Amino acid sequence: MNWLQLGGSLAAILLLAWIARLLRLGESRITDPEMAKATAEAMLAGFEARDALLSGDGNAAIVSGNAGIAVLKRHGAKVAVRRLVPPLALRPAVEGVRVETGESFFGGVTLFGVIEDDVRRLEAPLTLV
Amino acid sequence: MTLPNPVDYAVPAFVLLVLAEMIVARLRDRAAYEPRDTLTSLSLGLGSTVAGALTGGLTYLLAVWLWQFRLFEIGYSWYWFVIAFVIDDFAYYLFHRSAHRVRWFWASHVIHHSSQHYNLSTALRQTWTGFFSLGFVFRLPLFLIGFPPAMIFFVAALNLIYQFWIHTEVITRMPRWFEAVMNTPSHHRVHHAINPRYLDSNYAGVFIIWDRMLGTFEAERDDERPIYGIVRQLGSFNLVWSAFHEWVGIARDVWAAPGLRAKIGYIAMPPGWSHDGSRDTSATLKAQWRTRQDRTGKILGEEQWKKPILSSSGLDQAGARSPAA
Repeated sequence: MNWLQLGGSLAAILLLAWIARLLRLGESRITDPEMAKATAEAMLAGFEARDALLSGDGNAAIVSGNAGIAVLKRHGAKVAVRRLVPPLALRPAVEGVRVETGESFFGGVTLFGVIEDDVRRLEAPLTLV
Repeated sequence: MTLPNPVDYAVPAFVLLVLAEMIVARLRDRAAYEPRDTLTSLSLGLGSTVAGALTGGLTYLLAVWLWQFRLFEIGYSWYWFVIAFVIDDFAYYLFHRSAHRVRWFWASHVIHHSSQHYNLSTALRQTWTGFFSLGFVFRLPLFLIGFPPAMIFFVAALNLIYQFWIHTEVITRMPRWFEAVMNTPSHHRVHHAINPRYLDSNYAGVFIIWDRMLGTFEAERDDERPIYGIVRQLGSFNLVWSAFHEWVGIARDVWAAPGLRAKIGYIAMPPGWSHDGSRDTSATLKAQWRTRQDRTGKILGEEQWKKPILSSSGLDQAGARSPAA
């Protein structure tokens, strides 16, 4: 590999990424609770979804199930999921509530249009033993 | 004998084909591509090429040194290239299977699987730590047999080029005879899937016959669409984290492990293994899935289920406690 090949490859990478953006590829959202529940079940082995709370912007959701709470975040055109054991770590956010996952690279998940009480209600059946 | 590097000639075609697939995605399914994912995958590919250029010389020197002790004299006739290609592909199968079943090798290979997308840019999402993880040892026996290093490097590059086009959802199925012998987009989609049914299967590079012969073949089903990525999805487009996250995971686990046996286990056992059994390997995920299917009576195509396949393909520290708990 020489410098010309390196520079050419770098230019091609940036060009392709720019074209992907230009074509508006990758647009998606978590549209409804059923989609959130189906995604949680598909991504987490053995997870059986019960209820879901959606962020108003379609970028996040939490789903209660037989094995804890599934925290969903839109990750580009796909959805990434973490399974957490309640009680969830919550922080107030502008126009909503933020669920902390404890992972810096995964990050927290903000649920717009959702208040802390909604989350606590969702996780209550899992914390009452 | 000096042979060209075929990859150098293939790169422009790679770029054009990625572009063509993007246009198809624009028309059919915009979620098939994500600009940030594409940027990460292609950057990992470029980094892998740079890492290969830095360490390739050492691998070549090692190959030439071993070749001194060769068992047979093998020349550069065309048929030796054909034989080398086939044997090298089997060596690739063994490497690839190990890359999913031994966490040390997986830490390097996981980069290729960590995208949740399955498109041609995913093919170029390659490791930066291939040399460090010693993945090249699987090809060393070929030099001892007597295949010239230049020939093996040449056919290995052809193998790599072949594997580019199978990373696509645009092609549904190839003709039946082709599906029977060759690795195809359909077979490789299964390999990239995290559905329990599909975990740990189809390790082939070029010829799918290795999987068929050694019991690791699983056919793609029309009633179960593959879900791509790793069991514990990365959830980040960070380039450096994508390249090194599993190495960080190994380091943390080895540091915290009680005793030498557990420390070695976190390096040498399948991904997802833990000393206290608190995590899931792909073998346990498959077993749990099968139990659920049996219990609910929903098992489909039981006649097609051959056997639970051993281990690996990403760990799931399932049920991680929330930071508040």
